[in-house]
Amino acid sequence: MSQYIFPNHLKYTKEHEWVDLSQEVAVIGITEYAVKSLHDIVYVSLPEIGSNIKQFQVVATVESIKSVSEIYSPLSGTIVDVNKTLETNPEKINVSPYKEGWLFKIKPSNLDSEVKNLMSAEEYRRYIESLKK
Amino acid sequence: MGKLLKRTHLYNFHKSNGQLTEFAGFEHALFYEGIAEEHLAVRNSVGVFDVTHMGRTIVEGEDSITLLEKLLPRKVSNMSNLQGRYAFFLNENGGIIDDLTLFRLEEKKFLLVYNAGNREKDFNWIKDNASNYNVKVYDVSDEVVMLAVQGPNAIKTLQKLSDKDLSKIKRYWCDWVRLGEFDVLASRTGYTGEDGFELYLWNTPLQMSKRAERFLSLILDAGREYNIKPCGLGARDTLRLEAGMCLYGHDLDESISPIEAGFETLIDFDKPDFIGKSALLEQREKGVSRKRVCVKLLERGVLREGCELYDGNGVIGKLTSGTFSPLLNIGIGMGYVLKEFSEVGTKLNVKIRERLVKAEVVNPPFYDTNIYGHKRIK
Repeated sequence: MSQYIFPNHLKYTKEHEWVDLSQEVAVIGITEYAVKSLHDIVYVSLPEIGSNIKQFQVVATVESIKSVSEIYSPLSGTIVDVNKTLETNPEKINVSPYKEGWLFKIKPSNLDSEVKNLMSAEEYRRYIESLKK
Repeated sequence: MGKLLKRTHLYNFHKSNGQLTEFAGFEHALFYEGIAEEHLAVRNSVGVFDVTHMGRTIVEGEDSITLLEKLLPRKVSNMSNLQGRYAFFLNENGGIIDDLTLFRLEEKKFLLVYNAGNREKDFNWIKDNASNYNVKVYDVSDEVVMLAVQGPNAIKTLQKLSDKDLSKIKRYWCDWVRLGEFDVLASRTGYTGEDGFELYLWNTPLQMSKRAERFLSLILDAGREYNIKPCGLGARDTLRLEAGMCLYGHDLDESISPIEAGFETLIDFDKPDFIGKSALLEQREKGVSRKRVCVKLLERGVLREGCELYDGNGVIGKLTSGTFSPLLNIGIGMGYVLKEFSEVGTKLNVKIRERLVKAEVVNPPFYDTNIYGHKRIK
């Protein structure tokens, strides 16, 4: 498992999204583990700015040559920005899942009670190890 | 209890170097380095595939030609020794039981190579039809290792291992050649659209995995200067689709006829008889209502099997294969549409998860044949 990087300042979901809560709005992307298992990401469809979503609702899809993966929002709130670059350069997710490969930003509506449904980096790492059996 | 999956001689190589998947009852490599990387290696240089999972049967004996003339819609008797042909097994309704490659090894000895998923069905079909003929029909699938070496540098890679001039083997022909320490049958065929060979290493039962591994390393070593890559089933699928070639069980099945699939030129209606002839004659007479087409997306996206195709008014067809072309960076697919929408250049819409995306019917292959594929200008 040591080959994966899971930054400590991020929170994680079981569906392999990460969320950065250190900024004014929450930034969301998919983890390096998700990227490595998908391989060859070639297409991303992003949510509409302004749409209101519930925690763990499907908001986007990421496609590799072989498969389609649904992206769940780690938090409830309003979509305030999406990473338009990914529409033409989806491979940014492959090379930089935690920076240039971010997917969308959300203004959380229920952060305090929802954040406890998310995992720390350490918890997520243990979760990934349990998936490996 | 889990399903028991079959493995080829090279399973250990796949397991240690690749990501495994299930295909046609086999545990096989989906990719090693990545689908896109392997795909591009074949288009630009050379790649090697383990295709041992495919089915192989020998039909041999006095009545071999008579039997094959009955089983196949293409003419067999006028084939030369060492010549190959792409053909179909048809049912009485003209539906495709399988597609296959047929080689005339000797005057009265033929090799039939067909899809992994149809191993039992095809063998039984040949066997059942052979009961009144003086022929021997035997399945050699588990005694022959089969590797496909594909790409513009495939011939240079293999030529390093052989004293025989491989360029003398014409496309769709085969010959016996010595590659290093191995005597193999090499056919100038493949499932990628590129130049290349499929190599049959006989007398290699499943327990002789070391012999198979040595054979694979020989090719990997010879191709090192061309950056040869081992390629998995993922790239095999994207390459064949980009070349416009069909995958049985998706683009072809028992409810689809070779006329609908666009292979009318591969049916020899002059033959006195073959299974399915009367049904195909009727189809040719009356015309068919659907045709197979190749479709490319005009916007960014990925096509998938099952996507419905629309004109302005409603559903006109459905995709039977779809992917994202790693070479052209567009969504590509094939499927069946009502005949009036099958003309090259027809604009249509594809429904991708509730979204209608613009697409166009194109002539296969999807790539520019001056730059890629076996007809490329060298």
